[in-house]
Amino acid sequence: MKKIIHNIIILTSIFVTGIGLILMSAGIVYADDCFNINNESIDKNTNTRPFICFEHDIHNETAGIENCSECHHIYDEHEELVPDESSEGQPCSECHADSKNSNNTDIGLAAKYHKLCRDCHLSREKGPVVCGECHRK
Amino acid sequence: MHDYYSFFTGPFAWITFLVFIFGSGWRFYSIWQLAKKKDSAVFEYMNMKFALRSIAHWIIPFGSRSMQINPAMTVVTFMFHISLFITPLFVFGHVVLWKENFNISWFTLSNTVADLMTLIVIGSCLFFLWRRIKLADVRYLTTPMDFIILFIVAAPFVTGFWVYHQFPGFAVMTIIHIISGEIMLMAIPFTKLFHMFLFPFTRGYIGSEFGGVRMAKDW
Repeated sequence: MKKIIHNIIILTSIFVTGIGLILMSAGIVYADDCFNINNESIDKNTNTRPFICFEHDIHNETAGIENCSECHHIYDEHEELVPDESSEGQPCSECHADSKNSNNTDIGLAAKYHKLCRDCHLSREKGPVVCGECHRK
Repeated sequence: MHDYYSFFTGPFAWITFLVFIFGSGWRFYSIWQLAKKKDSAVFEYMNMKFALRSIAHWIIPFGSRSMQINPAMTVVTFMFHISLFITPLFVFGHVVLWKENFNISWFTLSNTVADLMTLIVIGSCLFFLWRRIKLADVRYLTTPMDFIILFIVAAPFVTGFWVYHQFPGFAVMTIIHIISGEIMLMAIPFTKLFHMFLFPFTRGYIGSEFGGVRMAKDW
């Protein structure tokens, strides 16, 4: 009897620890997957709205996006989309940097970002489109 | 949700702009025709100097005797009209939409100031509503349309406040906010709201008649 109780305690501890580890790792994955779109050029503007995290992997899985270049696009010098090349790892501002030049109205980058998300969401009729759906308070 | 958003920010927005622009043009034309037919003296007595003098007095707070007699109305109406124009043009959420759709942008209000000015507009509309119901002389001149106009003007600000503070149902309210703004723009040519374009002419003519014919002040 004592042995059975002993075993139950050990098994329960292993189970609980396991669940805990899974939850923790999920938490870490969640935290890792949380992108705050907050370029320094936009940061200066005190009027910007708060941003909730963008869950990159969950988003792409749900949306069925496998090709990185769907969002991380590259345009050539004639402003034509280069189909098979992608620009991940490169900050948006590297190309869309006109926003950095205008002092008080540094919203060009935000505008580009909004359009990228919203145009896709509208064409697929899925995902957030109005301001507050992403910029949660 | 998505198709409503697409429709009211797409085709319906363009219909709104067209109705606003061509409606206003038509309204100017029809008033011009009416004045020519019924009151051609308007054109003879119109005088730039007297017109500008009168407009100047009426556009400055407490610049006219009427405004001095009704200080509450004066303060509210100036705060109201300034907030009514400044807020939608310079609130950050709207400027970013100009940038997205037309690639132009300008100065933006701080969130706090925009919020405060929105409350000024809403509060002013309540004041105007109270005034229309409670003051006998104003009530005498009030038609049901005046209440509708008040509602049309207040709606974009009430919904805008709702959307910005993300009260329950704010996503749907954003669509209602867009529609309410479009209704207001479309109502301008066909209602008393047209005074936003007509006031220099009405005021200008009264100023001309008082200055050139009656030799008296009209402020």
